[in-house]
Amino acid sequence: MYGVVYHGFLLTCMLVIGALILLCLIRAVLGPRLTDRVVAVNMIGTMTIVEIALFALYLRESYLFDVCLIYAMISFLAVVVLTKIYGGAYQERKIKGTSHLEYEEEDKEVEDL
Amino acid sequence: MMAWVQLVIGGAFIVIGLLTLCVAVFGVFRFHYVLNRMHSAAMGDSLGILFIIFGLMILSGFHLSTLKLALIIVFFWLAGPVSSHMICKLEVLINENLKEECEVPEDGGF
Repeated sequence: MYGVVYHGFLLTCMLVIGALILLCLIRAVLGPRLTDRVVAVNMIGTMTIVEIALFALYLRESYLFDVCLIYAMISFLAVVVLTKIYGGAYQERKIKGTSHLEYEEEDKEVEDL
Repeated sequence: MMAWVQLVIGGAFIVIGLLTLCVAVFGVFRFHYVLNRMHSAAMGDSLGILFIIFGLMILSGFHLSTLKLALIIVFFWLAGPVSSHMICKLEVLINENLKEECEVPEDGGF
């Protein structure tokens, strides 16, 4: 009885988190600006960590917590590297005198306003 | 009996955390600009993960893996605001029409 409730509850939580990850993926594809996508990727990393932690209790395997901790560090590193690379690329283009990272249509819209 | 008490209390914390994450995703879809969206995303990153990991700590009982879960919370509370700050800096750097989205001080805030 206890095992059925325990595993059913954890499985339901994992399914909800999976649906939220899919929604975040949709946001990352839709996001009009570059930083929208980085925010969505950051959220996907957080929810993956929660998913791994729930799965560790589902299987009762404690080594998955180590995977969880490593994944947290890698997800933080991904955000740091992405922001540094895009900032550097933007400044490089600005020095060359070309247009910035945004889309051309967005620039036209802003000029029309 | 003790296991049922643990399941109910830990499950309540996990459900609160899941609701917080749902509200965070809802906010990310509802707001219209990155600096607003980041507010709701950071709420899910800190409060949602705190409630869920705390619920899992109660659910798993007290042994060494409980400390690992606490370490995840500590790491996230240190790293989450830093990553939000870096994304915000990138947005302020690459958005040349920032004044149309929000108030900007004349000296650039420095």
